[in-house]
Amino acid sequence: MSTTRKRVYGYLAEFKSASALYKAAEKIRDSGFRKWDCYSPYPIHGLDGAMGMKRSILPWFVFFGGMTGTATAFALAYSTQVVIYPTIVQAKPANIFTIPAFFPVMFELTILFSGFTVLFGLLALIQLPRLNHPLFASKQFHRATDDGFFIAIEARDPKFNPEKTRSLLAEIGGDNIELVEEEDA
Amino acid sequence: MAHHPVTSAEIAIHGDHLDNSKVARVKGIAFFIALVGTAASLYLLFLAPEKTRGSFAYSWLFAFYFFLTLSIGGCFWTLLHNVSNSGWGTSVRRTFENLGSTYPWMFLFGIPLLFPQVQQYLYEWMNIQRAGHGNVKEHLHHVDHLLYNKYWFMNLPFWYGRVIFWGLGLSLVIIGLRKLSTAQDTDPNPGTSRLLKARFHSTYTLIIFALTITFTGFDFMMGLDYKWFSTMWGVYLFAGSALNSMAVIILVCAWLKSAGHLKHVTSGEHFHIMGKLLFAFTVFWAYITFSQYFLIWYAGITEETSYFLIRNTGNWNIAMIALVFGHFVVPFVILLQAWLKKNPKALSIMAAYTLCMHVLDHYLITIPERGISLGNIKPEVFGEIQVAIPGAFWGDILAFVSIGAAFVFFLLRAIGQHSLYPNRDPRILESANLSN
Repeated sequence: MSTTRKRVYGYLAEFKSASALYKAAEKIRDSGFRKWDCYSPYPIHGLDGAMGMKRSILPWFVFFGGMTGTATAFALAYSTQVVIYPTIVQAKPANIFTIPAFFPVMFELTILFSGFTVLFGLLALIQLPRLNHPLFASKQFHRATDDGFFIAIEARDPKFNPEKTRSLLAEIGGDNIELVEEEDA
Repeated sequence: MAHHPVTSAEIAIHGDHLDNSKVARVKGIAFFIALVGTAASLYLLFLAPEKTRGSFAYSWLFAFYFFLTLSIGGCFWTLLHNVSNSGWGTSVRRTFENLGSTYPWMFLFGIPLLFPQVQQYLYEWMNIQRAGHGNVKEHLHHVDHLLYNKYWFMNLPFWYGRVIFWGLGLSLVIIGLRKLSTAQDTDPNPGTSRLLKARFHSTYTLIIFALTITFTGFDFMMGLDYKWFSTMWGVYLFAGSALNSMAVIILVCAWLKSAGHLKHVTSGEHFHIMGKLLFAFTVFWAYITFSQYFLIWYAGITEETSYFLIRNTGNWNIAMIALVFGHFVVPFVILLQAWLKKNPKALSIMAAYTLCMHVLDHYLITIPERGISLGNIKPEVFGEIQVAIPGAFWGDILAFVSIGAAFVFFLLRAIGQHSLYPNRDPRILESANLSN
């Protein structure tokens, strides 16, 4: 046995069903915890509201990502087709009013840049990819991908208290409450 | 999350009926305006001096087709609801059906367009064919080879046959589907048989719908310039039709809800979905409209570009650019917001705005053709070809108000006839408890 002290990640509690998880989430939200999360095998409608989650900032990233795409495509098409090397087809002029010809490219790059911002913005916000998660130390946690509904309250939450948080979880219907400690590196 | 699930105890067992006495005044006024307006319009179409008759024919066509697209859209949403086995829309389905049921009435306003006295100012190809006196094909062979080649489609007997079919076909479809739906309201053993029947009959009748929206557009609108053609035309009109009938549906539902109806069965969730459809079709309209413009602009074929040349000449150009921003950019940005779509009042404002843009859209489809065609057909009466005929817009307003009043009357009449939602539909609770 190692003598080094392990770092406490937090409490993990299991709930019987999706609705039990939902109701428990509402109570934890109302007790003012900030650093905690729900784990369920499938998405639960309205759980974000029950957890009191704020609206994500991601749409703003995507908006500006998309705008960058539009501007990039316009700059690309305009500088090449109008400024550097005007291509005259069927006597059509090459100027700002030929912008309809650039629309497909502008549309596509808007989509592409938005798509990239969604993917990479999301990964950044949820801090993925990562190699390990402290909750993997729990022996029961793998059931979150099968039939288990869990709530984990982290020890770094300012309201966390070894006794009170445990009794709160028990009070709102949590089973198999477990103090998860981070594994040795 | 909603407060508590809606249960069958909260569904009005005998239906949720509109108090007809409350709308009697509005209905009476609308009927009166429609009656007087139509009488005045018939005078302007058939008896007035030729200069007025010619320009008013376009006014009438514009107003007729504008309101027809709204009715056709009502049929579309009914058919789509049935055929897609949709659960969410059951609470608002009756409004789809009520809007669709105005179709037979609105089609009647097209009757003046069946008379050669009116057609002579609108459809030049008919004049050329009528000049053939019997031996039309031989005549066309000599005078207009394009019409000769198009004769299999553009000939008078086939045109009349088609128009009658568009009038009858979709009318029978929507009357049948609405009967099937309303009969359930009072059935003590409603069951699911009507649901399945409606689903089955909506499949093949969807084809009648598609032909109607496409080819009424061809026969009434594209025919204004027989040299012009666009393969996007049917889809373009469909996009406007589906979008704006949804706007009407939103307005009707919001009005009924504010009057205390549709309680328990509709919530912000229903408006959210309808708002999303409004948003989706705003984008679809822009996509199709741009595609049409883009293809024609890129190809640069003389017969095709005439449409946009006319509409980008003079002040029409300002209106066309206004359409790009007003019909797409502005509503696109505004309708992106989720809260707005869940709020019946805010969404109604956007729906009303969308309808205004639809007026502009259809005005630009029909009216710019007027100054060109009339100058082409009878220069001795209408003078040289001109961008717009001064003063003719008074006729446009008259025709629009007359047919619009009739539309309001028939819509209110349909709304007052039956329960405001299918209270015995097996899916009513599923729809009432919608969450999205």
